Amino acid sequence: MENKLLKQQVEELATQVNGEVEESFGVLVLKVKAPSIIETLTAVKNLPNTPCDFLHDLCGMDLVDHFEVVYQLSSLHGTQLLRVKAIVDREKPVIDSVTSLWQGANFLEREAYDMFGITFKGHPNLKRIYMWDDFEGYPLRKDYVTEPIEVRNITRTRIEGE
Amino acid sequence: MTIEKTEELLLNMGPQHPSMHGLFRMVVNLEGETVTKLVPKVGYLHRGMEKLAESRTYSQFIPYTDRLDYLASPHNNWAYVLTVEKLMGVEIPERAEYLRVIFGELSRIASHQVCIASTALDMAGWSLWSYAFRDRERICDMYEMTAGSRLTVNNMRIGGMSNEPPAEFWPALQSFLDDTPEMLEEYYGMFFGNEIAQGRLKSVGILSKELAENLSITGPVLRASGVSFDVRKAEPYSIYDRFDFDVPVRTGCDSYDRTIIRMDEIVESIKIIKQAVRDIPEGPIMAKVPKVIKPPVGEVYHRVENPKGELGFYIVSDGTTKPARVRIRPATFINLQMLPIVCLGWKIQDVVAIFATLDAVLGEVDK
Repeated sequence: MENKLLKQQVEELATQVNGEVEESFGVLVLKVKAPSIIETLTAVKNLPNTPCDFLHDLCGMDLVDHFEVVYQLSSLHGTQLLRVKAIVDREKPVIDSVTSLWQGANFLEREAYDMFGITFKGHPNLKRIYMWDDFEGYPLRKDYVTEPIEVRNITRTRIEGE
Repeated sequence: MTIEKTEELLLNMGPQHPSMHGLFRMVVNLEGETVTKLVPKVGYLHRGMEKLAESRTYSQFIPYTDRLDYLASPHNNWAYVLTVEKLMGVEIPERAEYLRVIFGELSRIASHQVCIASTALDMAGWSLWSYAFRDRERICDMYEMTAGSRLTVNNMRIGGMSNEPPAEFWPALQSFLDDTPEMLEEYYGMFFGNEIAQGRLKSVGILSKELAENLSITGPVLRASGVSFDVRKAEPYSIYDRFDFDVPVRTGCDSYDRTIIRMDEIVESIKIIKQAVRDIPEGPIMAKVPKVIKPPVGEVYHRVENPKGELGFYIVSDGTTKPARVRIRPATFINLQMLPIVCLGWKIQDVVAIFATLDAVLGEVDK
């Protein structure tokens, strides 16, 4: 019941933001281009009757010819589930930050930046989170060379206050 | 003109610090003893689990999941194998489902015992620590009988369980369940009724309901802020829809409620185990799955209620024997985001208490 309503609303939204709707294992997937992500997520968060207002997860994905940022959304007060995917250009991976919508996206966007090198515009503190600050490369990209660490000749500089 | 003000002190806590539960570090700005800024630093235990998964087959990755939240390893196995089973469309035998519930809930009890014990220990409450660890030993013994290891159990497989618990497992489980009311009574008397513990925890570190929802916080921390959300009820996985249990909710939003809610959850877990032991059928524990696991092209996000919060696996398959992407949604990594906000204005000893109530396990935070 709720899912039917959600599907209808998401399809309407998809025509507005020029996106595509798919279904995968019972979950709706909405694919949009990176520039319209804030518009899409604001609309999704405030959907009447079936708001998807809880951000479960945000992660990057490398599909060789482009990147995707995947948002897993649901609500604490209903059964609706929605996955939003934003297509990000591989040469110039930039997307708007959603920290203005969910503060919880803070660490998750830093992780996606750390692992894929996707820049989130408007993020309050976009720094590497798992790897050290002068680490080179983005480990979860498919073209990352996993060579032994001694080969890479890493020097560690100490930052004031650390 | 001089301004009479204490000099601001920059204090580095961790990664080697008795109150940090693992290799966690925070940089704290202090004015006197009051926190003015807190920056959490993670990554000291980062092993690159997600990258490792891409170069291993689906079954080879199961032991790695044990090393995520190592205090509740059956739960991590469970989350992973459930995701792969959903991707492949495998139905597992009834008996295996019940065994998974028993092991999952046992690990929830063990994990909560450690949380309560270490919260007490951080406030110099040695006695509860030793009592809780004494009781947790019995759960570790049950793991050892079944799987051979006491911490990283690894007894779940894609399609069922690795082996049947031995004959002595069931009496051990029964005597553990019989002793639990007395055990919980001891904890209440020793710690939660204690005046010092209440003074240290009550009204400390308020996390409001709105902030918790906005920060994507899940698990006991969210439920202690008055939100009734449990994946076992919201989206029942495995056979949780067959059991009669409640989701404990508390509305205090403070450190005390975040700790005591775990006691309520132990009570509910015991209820579930008792029902599972009563209803468990005889039969096989492994479904027929192909030797070479090759899920069809597709993607699944599956979540389970880990003792610490929602643990999610997002697996993308490209039709080969190795996953194209395995994304782990760690619960405590996301819950940690409340620290810099909630700790502001509290004293340094309160920061230790607030951090303890989050029950962060750095294996899961750092992946």
